[in-house]
Amino acid sequence: MKTAASTASNPRAMARGHADDGRFVPGQPDMWAFVLFEALVFTSYFTVYVIRRTQSSDLFLQSQSHLDLRVGVFNTLVLLASSWFVARCVQAARERSFRAALNNAYLTMLFGFVFLVSKVIEWTTEIERGFSFTTDEFFSFYYFLTGIHFLHLLIGFVFLGVAVYQLQSPARRSQEMVETCATYWHTIDFLWVLIFALLYVMR
Amino acid sequence: MSAAAVEAAPAAPSGSLIRKIAWHWRYDEKRELWIGWWTLVIFYNLYGVLFFVLARTQPPPEPSLTPAEIVQWFADRHYGLLYGYALVFIVGGATAIMNATLAYTMRRMSVSRAFAYSYLVIYALATLPGMLIMGVVCTVGAMRPDRDPELMSWLYDFAFLSFEGTMGVFLIGSLVWMTAVLLDKNRVFPKWFGYLNLCNALTEVVVAPAWIFKRGVFAWDGAIAWWINMAVFVTYTAVFLSLLRKMILREDFGTGPLPELESESTGALEAAS
Amino acid sequence: MEPVGEGGEELRRADGELILLWTLPVLGVIWLSAFLLFPGFVQPMSPTMSAEEVAAFYRDPENLPRIRYSMIVFNWFAVGLIPILALIVLQMRRMAHRTPIFSYAIIACAAGGPTTFLMANLFWLTAAFRPERDPAQTMMFNDLAWVTFSSQVGFLIAQSVILALAIYLDRQERPVFHPWVAHFNLVVAALLVPAAFVGLALEGPFAWDGLLTFWVRNIAIGVWIVVMGVVLGQAITRQRAEDEALAA
Repeated sequence: MKTAASTASNPRAMARGHADDGRFVPGQPDMWAFVLFEALVFTSYFTVYVIRRTQSSDLFLQSQSHLDLRVGVFNTLVLLASSWFVARCVQAARERSFRAALNNAYLTMLFGFVFLVSKVIEWTTEIERGFSFTTDEFFSFYYFLTGIHFLHLLIGFVFLGVAVYQLQSPARRSQEMVETCATYWHTIDFLWVLIFALLYVMR
Repeated sequence: MSAAAVEAAPAAPSGSLIRKIAWHWRYDEKRELWIGWWTLVIFYNLYGVLFFVLARTQPPPEPSLTPAEIVQWFADRHYGLLYGYALVFIVGGATAIMNATLAYTMRRMSVSRAFAYSYLVIYALATLPGMLIMGVVCTVGAMRPDRDPELMSWLYDFAFLSFEGTMGVFLIGSLVWMTAVLLDKNRVFPKWFGYLNLCNALTEVVVAPAWIFKRGVFAWDGAIAWWINMAVFVTYTAVFLSLLRKMILREDFGTGPLPELESESTGALEAAS
Repeated sequence: MEPVGEGGEELRRADGELILLWTLPVLGVIWLSAFLLFPGFVQPMSPTMSAEEVAAFYRDPENLPRIRYSMIVFNWFAVGLIPILALIVLQMRRMAHRTPIFSYAIIACAAGGPTTFLMANLFWLTAAFRPERDPAQTMMFNDLAWVTFSSQVGFLIAQSVILALAIYLDRQERPVFHPWVAHFNLVVAALLVPAAFVGLALEGPFAWDGLLTFWVRNIAIGVWIVVMGVVLGQAITRQRAEDEALAA
């Protein structure tokens, strides 16, 4: 029994997510549990934000006008592009063209990095203009939401690193792991779109 | 280790609770694990009662109280604080066996012993900012209600900031457990529990603004810094308690993958092949 | 591997353990001297002292150096018991258990007791650092020191209870410790319990200078250290004899 279970570890576990359940989710189903749970946590953050915003809408509107919408749009486009590349990476890996998959993973990283740099530049500009974490409630939320998202993105680089590690050697190349990492990356992109809408766009 | 259990075990009695416990104490191979599990269940509940009902320091009060209000706060729960924390001091050491049991789950995994040892030491340390410092400081505040209100205010801040604000131990502890679960090939815990550890770690980060804000959602009693955090932590705890129970049922004291429970169709399938 | 070489290695290991064990009497002498040197212990300071009296205690030129030097000695040697606890952990590893949970739990306790004592030690030293401070502040540090020192019995209780459980479940022909060691540990754990209620009374047996909180608690800890030192010595000697017999 033991030997049967241990030989079953890798390829069988991979197949499980795809076929046995009868329903198709890319990557480990476990990652989707994480996505759902994070979505719940972020929904509660967003709910608190919206409630506080309706309670003092004047202050929020006034402080919001100090944000640069163009920077937000730029961030969103950059992150959407990175998400597109990670999708292409998964597609290429599925077609077993690992060279292309790796290149797309690197491009994902590059765009993720551009996002990080632009975020840091945006924060320093805001702080130089006198808007810090403690300036008012809107800016507390602004730094909190963008900050916690930034942290998620940093963790995303660990996941991308795992994907690259998987793709590099013919001995590994677990399609399931690559898809799991891509799922995480799509989630942080999706969360950013919501944060962008709530902080920059919502009037 | 192999010397144990030479006696042939008779069937478990169905009678009174005490007889059942006596049977398990005598014959159950997994008694050490069950002692750990029941300690976890009983003491998490007990800590909940002590902190929320008896001492009434949870949910936390507002950080923005004036010194006079703080004196009143201590006066309102004088005996609750003194008795509540006295009981916390007596049973506080139970965390040692709880964390030892959780560390054992990592030892059962196919990962390095370093994970179990790091977890054990990190959470042993966590007991101090996690409850003992707060207990001592609240006891000192409550035992002399006539103390200078300014000093009472310092004690109040120190108690709640040490308790709510020290999250690094839980942050790193969760990450250690996460890494172990994700690397493990013995299937001690499902992978999604590894990711749940990441969720828990991320909410620990969110508490940091409690050091900065005296009111609002980021203060130590705030919706984000306390309530959402607590909801995540309670879910996380409930999840790992039930997963740990399942793990003990599956435990075979081997070194390879843990067998699945009979009732689980996927497990039976994999074991059969 | 040569059996002789293996046996020799085992011998060296047991010798190292005996050296660690012999640090215990040395530690005992140091702790007892520091205890006697601190002017607030021999006749424990009363919690009913007013802030002015507490401040005067620290300002007294007779007391101040004794407070400082005794607490500095405690600061040096507070962690001295940890090697002994490590030896207990090693003996627990020889018990007939299925899991290392109990020995892990003692490791988790080992640092807890000394750390809580160190916190009390820091409060005493801080109070003595500027005795000219506002008496209300000196009193607060003095309260923090005494309450931390007296109430923090949790790790010691857990240590004794876990050790007792481990001994009861050590089911082999020649158990590592006799069952009476387990009974003894449970009695010690019970004697430590009242000290947790130190905040409730400024006078009487539960106050920090009272019979239960000060005398019973500290004597119980002292007796535990002596008794565990002796049984640990016996267990290590027996282990060494067994190893020698194996090597021969």
